Amino acid sequence: MKQRKIPELKPLFKERMQNLLSKNDYKKYLEILKILPVKSIRCNTLKISIERLKEKLKAKNWEFSQPFKEHSEIIIIKSELEPGELGRSLEHVLGYYYIQEIASMLPVLVLNPKENELILDLCSAPGSKTTQIAAKIKNTGTIIANEVSLGRIKILASNTERCGVTNVIITKKDGAKLCKRLKESNLKFDKILLDAPCSGEGTLRSSYRTYKMWNINTIKQMSRIQKRLFEAAFEILKPQGEIVYSTCTHAPEENEEIVNFALEKFKDSIKIEKINLPVKTRQGILKWRDKEYSEDVKFACRIYPQDNNTEGFFIAKFKKTK
Amino acid sequence: MRFHILKQSEKEQIENLLKRQFGITKIPGILLTQTSEKIFLFQGEFNEKQIKKLSETALIEKIGIYFAKIIEDKQKEKHIRLSIEATQVLKNQITKNIFELNKEQAEKWMMGQELYIKTGKKCFLIMKYKDDFLGTGKASEEKIGNYIPKTRRLKSKSLVK
Repeated sequence: MKQRKIPELKPLFKERMQNLLSKNDYKKYLEILKILPVKSIRCNTLKISIERLKEKLKAKNWEFSQPFKEHSEIIIIKSELEPGELGRSLEHVLGYYYIQEIASMLPVLVLNPKENELILDLCSAPGSKTTQIAAKIKNTGTIIANEVSLGRIKILASNTERCGVTNVIITKKDGAKLCKRLKESNLKFDKILLDAPCSGEGTLRSSYRTYKMWNINTIKQMSRIQKRLFEAAFEILKPQGEIVYSTCTHAPEENEEIVNFALEKFKDSIKIEKINLPVKTRQGILKWRDKEYSEDVKFACRIYPQDNNTEGFFIAKFKKTK
Repeated sequence: MRFHILKQSEKEQIENLLKRQFGITKIPGILLTQTSEKIFLFQGEFNEKQIKKLSETALIEKIGIYFAKIIEDKQKEKHIRLSIEATQVLKNQITKNIFELNKEQAEKWMMGQELYIKTGKKCFLIMKYKDDFLGTGKASEEKIGNYIPKTRRLKSKSLVK
C-alpha cells in the first residue's frame, strides 16, 4: 500500500482521537490516514447484472474483488488506474456502477429497505445512498430524496438520472421543516435514512480539506442540527417503522449524544436495534468528557478506518414501537 | 417546480409515437411534463393525488428520470426523442430504427460527435453498441445528429471496450 504525506492534525483533534482510541489503536489510525483509500464501486443492479458488469470490467483488464459474499454488488478495483479513470469509463457514464466508499454503503445495508416501501432519505445529496436504496428495492415503492442546498440537488438529480432511479421524488427543503410539513399532511414512512450533515472526521483519508476545516465549534453546531433533524424525522415514522441515523464522523457529540438524545426524548416509543454488518464494528461509547450515555447506546456502531481499511462512520438503527 | 401529470389519452399519444418510430407499445409508469417539451418517467407508487399533496408540502425539484422530448418538424408532425435512460428502460421493446455502432463509432458517439454515415433514413434512431443502449440520434441524408448531453460524454477515446 502506497504511503503519502498528510497534513498535520490539529492538536485538539489529536487529543480527542487519543481519548477515543487506545494507544496502539491510535497509532494504527495515524498509519491508515497515510494510505490512500481503496477504490470501491457499487454495481447498479437497476441497469446491469453483477455478472455482466464483471465481464465488462474484465474486458477493461481491471482487476477487482468482491469483499462481501452476501453483498456481491460491492466491488473493489485493485488495478492501478489513472486519476479520474474510474469516473470517465463508459460503464460509469452509462450508470452501470456508482463510485462509493465502502463505509458509505453500510447505512443502507443497515436500513435494509424492502420492495414497495415508502422511504425518506432526508439529507440525500449527492445521492450515493438514494441510488443504493433504489437498487435494493428495484425501483418499487417511493423514495422521497430531500436536500436543502440547490447546488447539491443538481448533483443528486444528475446521479439519480444516471443510475436510472425512476421511483424518486426530489424535494428541496430544510430537513426538519420538511418533516414538520409532512407530519401536518399526515404522510408517514416505512423507513427513514438520516445520513446527517456532520463535521466529516471520518473522511480524512479522501479529503485533505477536512484537516483544515476541522473545528470544535462545527461539531457543537452540527450536534444541534442533528438533534433537530432526528426529532422531526422520528415523528413521521409509521408505527414499527425504522430510522437509521448515520454520520461520517467520530465526534461523540454528533453520534452517541444524538442516540442518547433520541432514546430519552422518545423513551415511550423508541427501541434501538442491534446491527449486523460484514465489517469490524465497535460499540457506541457510554461516556465522553463529562457526559454519560444510556446503556443502550452501546448498540450503535463505530466504524474506524484502521479496522477495515475504509473511511470512518457511525451508524445507529431505531424502531418506532408505537 | 410545477409538474403536469399526463392523462391517459396524452400518454397514449406518446405511446403511438413510440410505436410508430421504434415499435415500442407500452410505457411502464406515469409520464409528467415540466416544460412543454420535456417528459419525465416516474415508476414509484405515489399516485397523482399524493404527488400533488407532496408538492403543497415542499418544493419538488424532480420526479423520476428525464424520459423524452417531443419535437415538431417543419410540417408540424410530431416526433419523439428518447433519453439514454429511456432507451435502457425500454430496450426490450425496441424493434425498429436501431442503429448498431462499431467500436470506433461508439467512441465518437459517446464523445458527443456527429457521425457522418449515410443510413438512407431520415428519422430518429436508437443508438446501440453491443448490448449497450446509448440514446437517440437523428439521421439525415449525410449524418446522424448527436444529442448526448455534455455531462454524459466520454472525455477521450479508447474507453469503449
